[in-house]
Amino acid sequence: MRPTRPPQRRPRGSLRGSARIRLRVGFLIIAMVLSVFAGRLVQLQGIDPNSYAAMAAAEGMVQVSLQAERGDILDRNGKPLADSVDGMMVVADPLMTSDKAPELAKFLATRLDLDYFSTLKLLRTSGSRFEYIARRVPATKATDAVDAAERKGFTGIATRPDPIRDYPADDVAANLVGFMGTDAPLAGLERTFQTQLAGHDGSSRYEVGGGNRIPLGESTIKPAVNGTDLHTTIDLDLQWYAQRVLSQTIEDSNAESGMAVVMDTRTGEILADADAPTFDANHPLEAPDDARGARSLSDAYEPGSVEKVLTLSSLINEGKVTPRTRLSVPGELDREDRPIHDWFPHGLIHLTLAGVIAKSSNIGTVLAADKFAPGQLRSYLTRFGLGQRTEIGVRGESPGILPSDSQWTHQVQDRIAFGQSLSVNAVQMAAAVNTIANGGVRVSPSLIEGSATTDNGVTVGTDTTTTHRVVSEKAARDMTHMMERVIDPDVGVAPAAAVPGYRVAGKTGTAQRVGTDCGCYDGTFTVSFAGFAPADNPRFTIYVVVQNPRNGGGGGSVAGPAFSKIMSYALRRYAVPPTGTEPSHLPVEW
Amino acid sequence: MSSPAVQFRSRMPRIAEAAVERARLTVVPRRRVRAARVPFVTLVSLVLLGGVIGLLLFNTSMQQASFATTSLEDQASTLSAREQTLRMELDVLRNPQHVAEQARRMGMVTAGSPAFLKLSDGKILGTATPPDPTQDVRIVPPPPAKPPVLNPAPTYVDPPTQSSTQSYGHSSGLVPGASSDGAGHGDGTKNHTGHNNPTSN
Repeated sequence: MRPTRPPQRRPRGSLRGSARIRLRVGFLIIAMVLSVFAGRLVQLQGIDPNSYAAMAAAEGMVQVSLQAERGDILDRNGKPLADSVDGMMVVADPLMTSDKAPELAKFLATRLDLDYFSTLKLLRTSGSRFEYIARRVPATKATDAVDAAERKGFTGIATRPDPIRDYPADDVAANLVGFMGTDAPLAGLERTFQTQLAGHDGSSRYEVGGGNRIPLGESTIKPAVNGTDLHTTIDLDLQWYAQRVLSQTIEDSNAESGMAVVMDTRTGEILADADAPTFDANHPLEAPDDARGARSLSDAYEPGSVEKVLTLSSLINEGKVTPRTRLSVPGELDREDRPIHDWFPHGLIHLTLAGVIAKSSNIGTVLAADKFAPGQLRSYLTRFGLGQRTEIGVRGESPGILPSDSQWTHQVQDRIAFGQSLSVNAVQMAAAVNTIANGGVRVSPSLIEGSATTDNGVTVGTDTTTTHRVVSEKAARDMTHMMERVIDPDVGVAPAAAVPGYRVAGKTGTAQRVGTDCGCYDGTFTVSFAGFAPADNPRFTIYVVVQNPRNGGGGGSVAGPAFSKIMSYALRRYAVPPTGTEPSHLPVEW
Repeated sequence: MSSPAVQFRSRMPRIAEAAVERARLTVVPRRRVRAARVPFVTLVSLVLLGGVIGLLLFNTSMQQASFATTSLEDQASTLSAREQTLRMELDVLRNPQHVAEQARRMGMVTAGSPAFLKLSDGKILGTATPPDPTQDVRIVPPPPAKPPVLNPAPTYVDPPTQSSTQSYGHSSGLVPGASSDGAGHGDGTKNHTGHNNPTSN
C-alpha cells in the first residue's frame, strides 16, 4: 500500500493564488462577454432582421434604369423631323456639396450656362441627398464639366443619362411636329402620339465589386421597350420651300399670317402644310405664343371665292348649268337684306359660267346658285367635307362652321355660294378643291403613313383613307376647264399663278374677314388661291391663304405668285412632265 | 513376395490417412492481405485538388471576362457618343436651310422650268426656261425694322449765308462743356451749324 500524503495546505500569501477563484472569475468574464453576444444576436435576429438583411444585400448592388429610346418622327423619305440624342443630367448630393457650394455653383454656372443663384440654392438644400442641377445637357458637355469638377476637388456631382430631343431641321414642320418640355411633350404630333413614341423604361439590378459586374452575382434585367417611329407624309424639302415662300409672301405683302397646303391629288397625302409665322422647335419659347400652333388646322376663316368651285361644280353635277351657260350679270344684285356686289364695279355684263369663274363674279354665282333645290347646296358641301374635322391627327383642329339646316335661309345660301357666311380650315378646303382635281372623288387627307392612334383613341393614317364620289367625272372635268381660264393672261384674274409650260387650273379667293372686336366684317381680307396642275392629269393640289395683306393685294397678286413658286418646285421635284396638251379655251363672255 | 493387391492394401491406409488428415477441419490460417492505400488516397486527393483548382481558375477567368466586359462597355459607350456627335453634325449639314444658304453663297439660283424628253417617241414636252434670279425665294428673313429711337430721321441743314456769323455769336450764350449730357448734346447740335460754317477764323 502506498502511503498517502496528507493534503498539503497552501500557506496564505502564496504567489500562486487560488485556482478556484481564478476559475470563477474566468467563467464570469466569459459569461459576460457571451451575454453581450447573445444580446446583440437577439437584437439582430429577433427585433428587426429584415432591414439588416436588406442593407447587406444592397451593399454592392446597383440599380440602373434603362432608358427607352423615344421614337423618331420621320418624313415620307425617312428623314428625321424629330430625333433623340444622348444627353445627360447633372445631379448633386447636397450633403457633400454644401461646404464648397459657392465655388461649385460658380463653376457649374459658367460651364453649363446655368443661373448662379438657383444652382447655389440647390447645392445647399438641407435634408436632401439628390437634386437636379441641369437637365438634358449634351453628353460631352456634361461629362467634361463633371470631370473637371472632380479634378478641382469638388465631390458630390454626378451625371445620369437623360436623352435630348433634337429637331434637325429647326422650324421645318415645327407647326405639326410640336415640341417637348423638360419631361413631357407639350404640343403637336409629339403630344398626340406620346404613347407610341415614348416606349417603356426598363430596369437592371446587378452586383458590382470594384467597379466591375460580378458575373455570377444576382442580376435581373427588365429590358426597355423603345418607342415606335412615327412616319409622316410630309416631304421635308417641299415643306421647307413652302415655308420660305410663304414667309416671303407674308413679309412682302405685310400680312398678318399665312398658310399653304400641298396635297397629293390621288392619295390625299399631305406633302406640306406650312404656317407663317412659325417657330424653331429647338427653341420654342423664343417665338410668340400664337406662332406655336398649327394655324392651318386650328384657325377657321371664311374661304371666299374659292368656294365658288364647290358651288358651281355641284350645279353642273345636278345638270342645272354647263360651262357655256349664259348669264346676264348686273352691277348690283338686290337681295333680301343687303345688295350683293362684285369686286370690280361694272354695269350689265354678259358672262358665261366659265366667265363667272374666270372673272370671279359673286353676282353671277348667286344667279346660278338660285337654281339649287332647297338643301341641295348644303348636302353637297357636307359631302365635300366642309363643317367636319379632317381628323388627320393634329391637335386642336377646328371643324369650321357650316350653318345648319335651320339656319340656312336664302340670304345665307346666297352668301355661302360665293364663300362668305361659312368658315373652313385650310386643310379642309384643300381637300374639297382636291375633289375636283381627283375627278370628282373626295379622298380623305392624311398626314401619317401607315396608321397610328392618337391620345384620344382615334386611328389615323393612310391606312384609314376613305374615298367617296361627290360629283361626276364630267362635272369635275368641266369645272377644271373653267378653272383654267382663271390663269389665262387675257381673261383671268390670276395670270401670276401660271406655271410656265404646264396647264394649271385654279381659283382665287378674296374674302372679308370678321373682326374680333366688332363681330362684323372689319374691312380686312383673307386672300387665297387654290389650284392643281397639270390640269388634265393632276398630281398636286396647292392652296395658299394669306390673312390681311396690308399692301392691298388680292388672291391673284399675293397668293398667286406663291402658288406658282410652290407648284413649279413640286412639279420639278417629282419630275412631273407637262402633258403637252392645249389649255382650255372656254368662252368667258357672250 | 507381395501381390499388387497386398501392395495396394498396404498403400491404402497411407492414402486414407492422408485423406483423413486432409478432410479434418482446421482453422484457415489468417493471411493478412493489405491493399495498397497510397494510390487511392493520391487519386482522391488529386481529384479534389483538380476540382478546386479548376473551379478557382474558372471563377478567375469569369472575373477577368467581367473586367474585359466593363472596359469594352465603356469603349462602346464612348464610340456611340462619338457616333451621335457625328450624326448630329450630319443633320446640321443636311438641314435644307444650310444647304440652300451654301448654294446661294456659291451663286446658285432656283432653276427655271425644265423640258422633258419622252424617250418612247422623242417628243419634247414643255419649254426649258432659263432661271430668273429675281424669282429667287428669300431664304433668310429680312433684317427687322429698327424702331424710331435707333433709326432717327436725318437732320437737314441749310448751308448758312454770310450773315450767319452773328447767329453763331448768339448761340454761344450757352456754356460750352456743360455737365449734363442733354445740354451738351443740344449744344453740339446747335453749334453744328456753326462748325459747318466756314468762318473766317
